[in-house]
Amino acid sequence: MNKRFLIALLGVFCLSFGLAEAQTQEKITGLFAGVSFERFAELIEKETSYRFVFDPKVMEEVSVNIQAKEGKLDDLLTAIFQGTSWKFSIAADNRVFITSGRKMPVEFVRGYFEPKNQVSKLATDQQEDLGAFARNMRYEIGKDKEDPAQKTAVLSGKVSNIENGEPMLGTVIYENIGFQKSITDENGYYQITLPKGRHTLIIQNPGGYQEQRQIELFGNGVLNMEVQESFLSLDEVVVSSGALSNINKLEMGVQSISMAEVKRLPAILGEVDVLRGILTMPGVNTVGEASVGFNVRGGAADQNLILYNQSTVFNPAHVFGFFSAFNPDMVAGVELYKGSVPVNYGGRLSSVLQVSPKFGRSDKIGGSGGIGIMTGRLSLEGPIGEKTTFILGGRSTYSDWALNLLDDEAALNGSRASFYDFNANVRHIFNEKNHLEVTSYISKDEFAFDPDTTYSYQNLNVAATWRHFYNEQLEARFTAGYDAYQFGIIGQDNPLNAFDFNFDVKQVHLRTDWEYRKDLNHIYKFGLHAIQYQLNPGTNNPFGTESIVIPQDLENEQARELAIYFGDEWTINERLSVSYGGRYMLYQFYGPNTVKEYVPGAPIIESNLTGERNFGKGETIQTYHGPEFRLSGRYNLTNQSSIKAGFTTTRQNIHLLSNTSVIAPTDSWKLSDSYIKPQTGGQFSLGYYQNIGVTKFEFSSEVYYRYMSNILDYRSGASIILNEDIEQDVLNSLGRAYGIEFLLKKNTGILKGSLAYTYSRSLLRTSDEPSIEKINQGAFYSSNFDQPHHVVLVTNYELSKRINASLNGNYSTGRPVTLPISKFEYGGSERVYFSDRNAYRIPDYFRVDLSVNLEGNHKVKKLAHSSWSVGVYNVLGRSNPYSVYYTPVEGKLRGYQLSIFAKPIPFITYNFRF
Amino acid sequence: MKIQNLSFFLLLLLFWGCREPFEPEIEARDLNVLVVEGYLDSEGLSSNLRLSFTSNIQDEFNFNPSALGATVYLESSSGARYSLLERGEGIYEFQHDIPENETYQLRIFLNDGTSYTSSELKPVITPEIIDVGFEQNEAGVEVFLTTKGNPDADDFLWTYEETWAFRPPIISFDKYDPELKRIIPRSAEERIDLCYRSALNSDLILETSSRFQDQFVFRQSIKQINLGDERLSLRYSILISQKALSKDAVEFWEILKKNTDDLGSIFSPLPSNIRGNIKQDQNPDVPVIGQVSLGKVQQKRLFIDIREVAPWRPEVPEYAGCFLSADTVFVANYDAVFRSEINIPALPIYLENAIEPIGYRYSTPRCVDCTRRGTNIRPDFWEE
Repeated sequence: MNKRFLIALLGVFCLSFGLAEAQTQEKITGLFAGVSFERFAELIEKETSYRFVFDPKVMEEVSVNIQAKEGKLDDLLTAIFQGTSWKFSIAADNRVFITSGRKMPVEFVRGYFEPKNQVSKLATDQQEDLGAFARNMRYEIGKDKEDPAQKTAVLSGKVSNIENGEPMLGTVIYENIGFQKSITDENGYYQITLPKGRHTLIIQNPGGYQEQRQIELFGNGVLNMEVQESFLSLDEVVVSSGALSNINKLEMGVQSISMAEVKRLPAILGEVDVLRGILTMPGVNTVGEASVGFNVRGGAADQNLILYNQSTVFNPAHVFGFFSAFNPDMVAGVELYKGSVPVNYGGRLSSVLQVSPKFGRSDKIGGSGGIGIMTGRLSLEGPIGEKTTFILGGRSTYSDWALNLLDDEAALNGSRASFYDFNANVRHIFNEKNHLEVTSYISKDEFAFDPDTTYSYQNLNVAATWRHFYNEQLEARFTAGYDAYQFGIIGQDNPLNAFDFNFDVKQVHLRTDWEYRKDLNHIYKFGLHAIQYQLNPGTNNPFGTESIVIPQDLENEQARELAIYFGDEWTINERLSVSYGGRYMLYQFYGPNTVKEYVPGAPIIESNLTGERNFGKGETIQTYHGPEFRLSGRYNLTNQSSIKAGFTTTRQNIHLLSNTSVIAPTDSWKLSDSYIKPQTGGQFSLGYYQNIGVTKFEFSSEVYYRYMSNILDYRSGASIILNEDIEQDVLNSLGRAYGIEFLLKKNTGILKGSLAYTYSRSLLRTSDEPSIEKINQGAFYSSNFDQPHHVVLVTNYELSKRINASLNGNYSTGRPVTLPISKFEYGGSERVYFSDRNAYRIPDYFRVDLSVNLEGNHKVKKLAHSSWSVGVYNVLGRSNPYSVYYTPVEGKLRGYQLSIFAKPIPFITYNFRF
Repeated sequence: MKIQNLSFFLLLLLFWGCREPFEPEIEARDLNVLVVEGYLDSEGLSSNLRLSFTSNIQDEFNFNPSALGATVYLESSSGARYSLLERGEGIYEFQHDIPENETYQLRIFLNDGTSYTSSELKPVITPEIIDVGFEQNEAGVEVFLTTKGNPDADDFLWTYEETWAFRPPIISFDKYDPELKRIIPRSAEERIDLCYRSALNSDLILETSSRFQDQFVFRQSIKQINLGDERLSLRYSILISQKALSKDAVEFWEILKKNTDDLGSIFSPLPSNIRGNIKQDQNPDVPVIGQVSLGKVQQKRLFIDIREVAPWRPEVPEYAGCFLSADTVFVANYDAVFRSEINIPALPIYLENAIEPIGYRYSTPRCVDCTRRGTNIRPDFWEE
């Protein structure tokens, strides 16, 4: 790699700073025979007032062989570096900067290194426009005399993207000695309290790229920083303490993934996919390639709270799981909480996936887009006036031409798939203390696998958040939103039986979240969430004039959910911090509705039905309430390692009804009612985090144990669609899951990547409540997504600054299935004997993907940036079974395994932004 | 309505997909599972226990190997043993009047050295069937049953066997004798114009009497015979068995019922494994299928005659397209046409005042020979 950019310099010397008075060059005399450059510098420094700034490591190879008599440093260095790419510059204060390739401009320093007494503003706002050299500049912040008694000062500011001015979320800012840290919020704001004096701040953004700033802190002040987000990081800063966010973060089991990382992953059909990025993390599985959901630490797919900003996305996929519902251009970053869920989230059992929206750049109107094989996307963003920014983005399939092109098998005749989604986000800053954010999302999918049956579904989400900053300590957010999801099936197989089936769920939510930072050691979070649910479990109507289908309409379900929470992040000392808190949730299922009644204490089956009871409008049918606890702690063993422990309990009032292994487009949601109780669960986890080789590797390992109650499983032959008595077909089950996860990550260098290994189990057991059937005689059995071994390898190799190649590998144990294995005669007829529930497994899954990203040149300012992404999904062409099924062939049952991507799938995508 | 039938659509989904045979290695212990079926009569009437094994699901033949040479007895809690006698084909007969206030265990010793024991059985005396009857409705005829439960007999299982008399669409009383080269009348045993067809049924009907007032199960639907069904084309008989079940037996029969309706496919509901109340002594984890019960079975037979439901127009798909030949086969051609038995002489054609027919019109055995679908032997229970 050529060293076109500045290499490094920092932290090696902490130079005292003063205005150099004399400009006359000091004379040097001496014999430097075969000494290292470092030694040479040392000797010069001893004799003169010159101070060298360079990276000893990269200068190792330079040896000095020179004799000087009353020589000028200028001449000496010119001689030493003759024929090399090294350049030097000597600043007015006699500091000597050694750089590679390009001379460091030292003249600009004047404008910034003002004498202290000229800094007369209460807080000095530092704004950068130094580009790549900003990191080596020293910023003086605050007014010394203002409050001399105060030993510490508060530094705050905003971190934004150097390329487009957008705020950078989740950037960790820490001080490299004491490790005080702060993480930027979604507006890029941070706040950090430091002892007065000189510091090096490390700015670690979620993509793994690091920057640093030298500051001298005299008093409270503001430092706004512009940093680069691009995953094509320039040569690294050598001095660093690695991804301290991992070690220092209080929460455990949190996985962040930046869009830059997601974009590096090979994609199916070239679609950059946020959810696919999630699947590279340890502890996250999926049952199949074309399944909508993902499973976190042995939890079902419906136990993940998927939030786009504050909106719940009920179906996070397009085309039956092939693509995720999120337009990559509209997402700033993704965070998955799989261990300790922060106290301000609740409502799902397993995890929270927080997808952070983009809000538009503030500098100019710009946009981005992409053209892939099947889909195209375009987004436009920019400021409206001074205080408002917007971003609009859309994505759509062009047509079915690709599908038709690839369709060489007759079976696919008549199949079609199309979707679109659209986002619009607006942020308005009234003033420093009041911000308004509006996010919206709409998506629609339509697909058919034969000409007669059309499936469609639709997501709709709108939310508005008003953020108010009362003072530096207290911040509040008020959110109101509406989320809806619906799906429909139109069947026209036979005009007489043509039907139109619909399901929908809607929720209106109001929430307020408060954050109070009391002195340095406490961050209190508290708030109130309210959700009102309205759910139509299913309506079926005749379709067309000829149809004789009898209309059927299941009674709507209504419920309300109220949760209050309080939590405290308490930094006890430099090494130890704890977070504790709780939520209390109240849930009410209310009328109008008709509730069937059964013989008390007996299994809920049709033959135990005794009657039914009508509830009027608004009448409470069933109330559930209970607490949730959140507890976690972190102890820093050294600067490079920490251990964390946590205990979390959660509750969930809405359930996905699915008695198939994979999430099907016909799965519907169900509210807790008189018979279906809220799911509850808890998780204990313990983790160890270590950075190896200062920056090179990041290692973490977590163990967990989870227990779950009131999980739904289904009895033999349960049917879900248009089932008025679903309580008769579900089995109240208990679950438990445990596992250990290892993650080794390399964030720097030419070869980056991660290797994750997870051993986990996920087991279910029919509970002891009276029920007609105890699956596997009431013993624990594997859940549908119990895949003990899971290995994910992600590598990215930088061939050059503009070309990088990614190779991903994915292995997991095949998921469990129940097989018909023999037959017998009983009760006067031939019967099929099934194995124990999930006693067998489909064959193991193994897939390798390859992609190459080609970037345009890296000038920060140019008309448009473009990139190409070319790759092959499933390079080995292995036919990984997605499912197995049995079908009678000539009177006997034959088993088949079905693969979806049984061949290598090439893709190419062109991306651009302007 | 096709919502249920999603399984096909993934097949079609395969852009680049493929379908390959899947033959998992099934553990040996799952392939040869002992199946025990029986409801032993506790009042001294003869009843059967059947021991068989499961066979591989992919076997071509519907052959379930029987367990032969086993020693089977019922042991009371006081130590008395009541043997079952082997009757061949895996059938073991039980004929003992046993005290009803004791508990029992069934013990099975197979000749491979394994032995099996049931959980404790308590005789459940099934109350009598109060009434069986039928009712005509829009869709056809519904057969129903009325009974009354009691504190000891709350859950019921009904199974039934059907038999019906029918005639083929083309009646023939005669046959061709290739030795005599003549057409002669059929003897009584050779008659093919009236047959009896029996159907075993996989339906399992379960009900709990305690959900009804006074445990009175009134007009429980047993069988719906749809309009046009051949069953009522002449005369129909149904034998309904009523068995009171213990609570644990309900689960067994419920699962059996649910599993019967479903074969695991991609989107089909998850099936459940079935066991029962019998365990191997050597290794209790070895699967054994079967729920043995002890008690008294109540049965009632009902006959329905076509005259009771008339008009009834049977439509039998097996007899679609049946007609008499348009041509008459003359005596000289009998051997050529009838020898191979592809055609059966049906309708004799007489000239005016003639005694001997000049020829026959004929049809195919499918349309003439009712023994292809039933038996021409009248069952013993048959009442006209």
